[in-house]
Amino acid sequence: MNAMLENGIVVTVAGVLREYLMLLFGNQFLTDLIMKFIGLGALIGVILTAAIVFTYAERKVCALIQVRLGPNRVGGRFGLLQPFADMLKLMSKEDIIPAGCDRVVWALSPMLLFVPSALAYAFFPFDKGAVFADVNVGIFLLIAISSQAVLPFLMGGYASNSKYAMIGGMRTVAQMLSYEAPMVFSLLGIVMLTGSLKMSDIVAVQADNVWFVLLQPVAFVIFVITATAETNRTPFDLVEGESEIVAGAFSEYSGMRWALFFLAEYANLLAVSILTTTFFLGGWSGPVLPGVVWFGLKAVFMVFVFMWLRWTFPRTRIDQMLSLSWKVLLPLALVNVMCTGIGIYIYRLL
Amino acid sequence: MPQTETYILNMGPQHPSTHGVLRVNLELDGEKILRATPMMGYLHRGIEKLLESRTYIQGVPYTDRLDYVSSMNNNFGYCRAVEELAGIEVPARAEYIRVIMAELNRIASHQVFIGSLANDLGASTGMLYTFRDREEILDLFDLVCGARMTFHYIRVGGVARNLPPEFAEKCRKFLDRVPEFTEEYANLLMGNEIFQRRLKGVSRLTPEQALAHNMTGPNIRATGIPFDLRKVDGYSVYPQFAFEVPVGENGDNWDRFRVRFREITESARIVRQALEGLPEGPVMAKFPKMLKPPKGEVFSRTEGTRGELGFYIVSDGTAKPYRVHIRRPSFINMQALDDMCRGYLIGDSVVAFSAIDPLMGEVDC
Amino acid sequence: MFGKGLITGMGITIRHFFGKKATFCYPEEKLTMTEHFRGGHLTIDYKKCIACQLCAIQCPNQAIKLKVVTDANRKRHLESYVHSMGRCLYCDLCIEGCAPHALSWDKDYEISTWHKEDLVHQVMTDEDRSYLAEVMTQAAANPTPPPVPKAAPKPAAAAPPAAKPADTEVKPRE
Repeated sequence: MNAMLENGIVVTVAGVLREYLMLLFGNQFLTDLIMKFIGLGALIGVILTAAIVFTYAERKVCALIQVRLGPNRVGGRFGLLQPFADMLKLMSKEDIIPAGCDRVVWALSPMLLFVPSALAYAFFPFDKGAVFADVNVGIFLLIAISSQAVLPFLMGGYASNSKYAMIGGMRTVAQMLSYEAPMVFSLLGIVMLTGSLKMSDIVAVQADNVWFVLLQPVAFVIFVITATAETNRTPFDLVEGESEIVAGAFSEYSGMRWALFFLAEYANLLAVSILTTTFFLGGWSGPVLPGVVWFGLKAVFMVFVFMWLRWTFPRTRIDQMLSLSWKVLLPLALVNVMCTGIGIYIYRLL
Repeated sequence: MPQTETYILNMGPQHPSTHGVLRVNLELDGEKILRATPMMGYLHRGIEKLLESRTYIQGVPYTDRLDYVSSMNNNFGYCRAVEELAGIEVPARAEYIRVIMAELNRIASHQVFIGSLANDLGASTGMLYTFRDREEILDLFDLVCGARMTFHYIRVGGVARNLPPEFAEKCRKFLDRVPEFTEEYANLLMGNEIFQRRLKGVSRLTPEQALAHNMTGPNIRATGIPFDLRKVDGYSVYPQFAFEVPVGENGDNWDRFRVRFREITESARIVRQALEGLPEGPVMAKFPKMLKPPKGEVFSRTEGTRGELGFYIVSDGTAKPYRVHIRRPSFINMQALDDMCRGYLIGDSVVAFSAIDPLMGEVDC
Repeated sequence: MFGKGLITGMGITIRHFFGKKATFCYPEEKLTMTEHFRGGHLTIDYKKCIACQLCAIQCPNQAIKLKVVTDANRKRHLESYVHSMGRCLYCDLCIEGCAPHALSWDKDYEISTWHKEDLVHQVMTDEDRSYLAEVMTQAAANPTPPPVPKAAPKPAAAAPPAAKPADTEVKPRE
């Protein structure tokens, strides 16, 4: 029990599992391999569960904010089985391939989009010690991987042979690239405070001291704004721009292909919520409850915040969005980095 | 030197934010609009011809279908034209009731405007809130005439039936709620910086341009010209009520929004005064069932929710009009779309379109 | 300050998130229709009808098709009465034009159908038809024309007969 409290539930469970596997196979390498696969399965499980839960949550949150009841038919009074009904509907839909599209690129786009969003999960510290790949350049890798999501959007937009999709694809590039910069700079302050790019270190520092949201409030705001832009959600959903360019890059997709875009969107949503939790809200640290529960609670809260933003705000315009990024957020983030540096210097002097 | 080309984007007729079935041909340079050509006729039902093949009284329900968001105002316009043609004197109570209905419908229509503008800007929550409050007006109409959309309540010679006894109280209750919900819209939308930035300074029209396009209604008032037929013509019993005509300053989308927003309060003021001064008496004039106006023609105009709604009717002395022409404000305001879009971005075209507030049922007629 | 409006907006939405909802579950809960509600099937109180055909003449869109027979007493009766709901504007002109107040709406607004043909509604019920046959035979049996006028117009007595009894109970919303 003490070991459990010390190491966290996930690590303890994994340890027990590993011992059993060792007993079973007696081979170190094989056990490691199986453990990796179990971890992988758990990650994919998290992503898929998130997608299912969040489709429901999005509809319900949206409905409740809009003084409606929301899903209330499938699966009892609260419509809990709605996502499965949605899934069935999507699977039974006709797979329409637009005429004159670039077939290969068009088909690859939704699959490729899922890769960076899923890959990012490898670096998240779900609990003390529970990181799939705790690399020492965690943040760096994470940002490098997540910026790959630009390409599939552009591919989808280009290959659809539709002007709406093309505009959507081009907008994605402009939007994601320009929001990457302030995002990175907003995280720089945290890296300076912890002195490490390792995700687990960042959480550990916060667990020992104070959540970074208190030390870096400006960075927190910048990060939330840029994260909204990165996930293409209102007020920065220009890539979809439902009332302008219909659905942007994925207006020509239907059925399961479209569902993959959707899956990636919710995987991204959870990913940025987890990132916010990890960088600013102290990750798994918290009293009484086990770390993984704290982590889950914080992440879900952030997801709610993103949904809340989405259903409150109107959409910005492309030039306003870009000028916000380059003229406001980026200078602000740089100033924040500078202030953090000065702060650290003064702190050391004291 | 890289060679660039402009391209044509067909917005609509099936598009989430064309308020029906409008097609806009956008010539684009990247995201910038070089030219916007509205192409209409997808919802043409030949209402003018339908009116010509029906008797004067049978024609009233068809005017419901013109601008289906403010049917009462259409009924009002058509009935006024027929009454002028036939020389029917409308009882005072009926005039008051008509004004109450027309102004309530104006509130409802402007709520739809605010809601659809919010929706076109991506804030669908704003739309749901306005539609929620609009339901209260529709409930009132339902109580009065038994329909929620195509009212057919204002008839030639008066109104269909007297107000039910509980109407006055319910209407006052609604009027008391007007400041409450306008404040909510103001907080959710008007105060929102993103919303303001999307609207301020966008799609500007000078008063000269607006006049040249023959724009009417809130669209011309947004440019600063206080042209409101309720004041200018003073038809019906409007001169008896104190109300202001809100005008804008810059003629941009923000002013178009603000003018309509303030009109909600002004309309509520009119309704309140009309309820106070509601005289007793009959609600229907006496005239022969088979109405045969004398030979002649008439052009009668009223202030619809979207501008000057005119009915031109030619009578050849028979029971059916010889010719009906409807001056539909939405149709004429639509001309300005090109000027309002030129030089702005794709996102603005949707907003410009929404700010004109056309209704395709009326545009195509 | 920039952002104040954003925060107030968020305050409003979160209040509504926890607040009362404006909608309700439709087929379980239903609204009661108002007194003058125009909608549903047209119903006719056959015994009141004087077969004057005014409703069909008043109709702007020729949605009402009716046939009239004259019995041995030279009195007119409806033989068939068809209401094409697809053509109907629900403008209420037929009902207002009905002098004996025989026409009314049944206010059953759940009238959507799969096929256009189903929108053609036979207003006369079997009961009405048997009544017609009865009247016709009676008139043929004693052809002395009684001078009494049939139904005098009774104001505000348009009791809707159950032409198509609604099988779902309309529950008022609390």
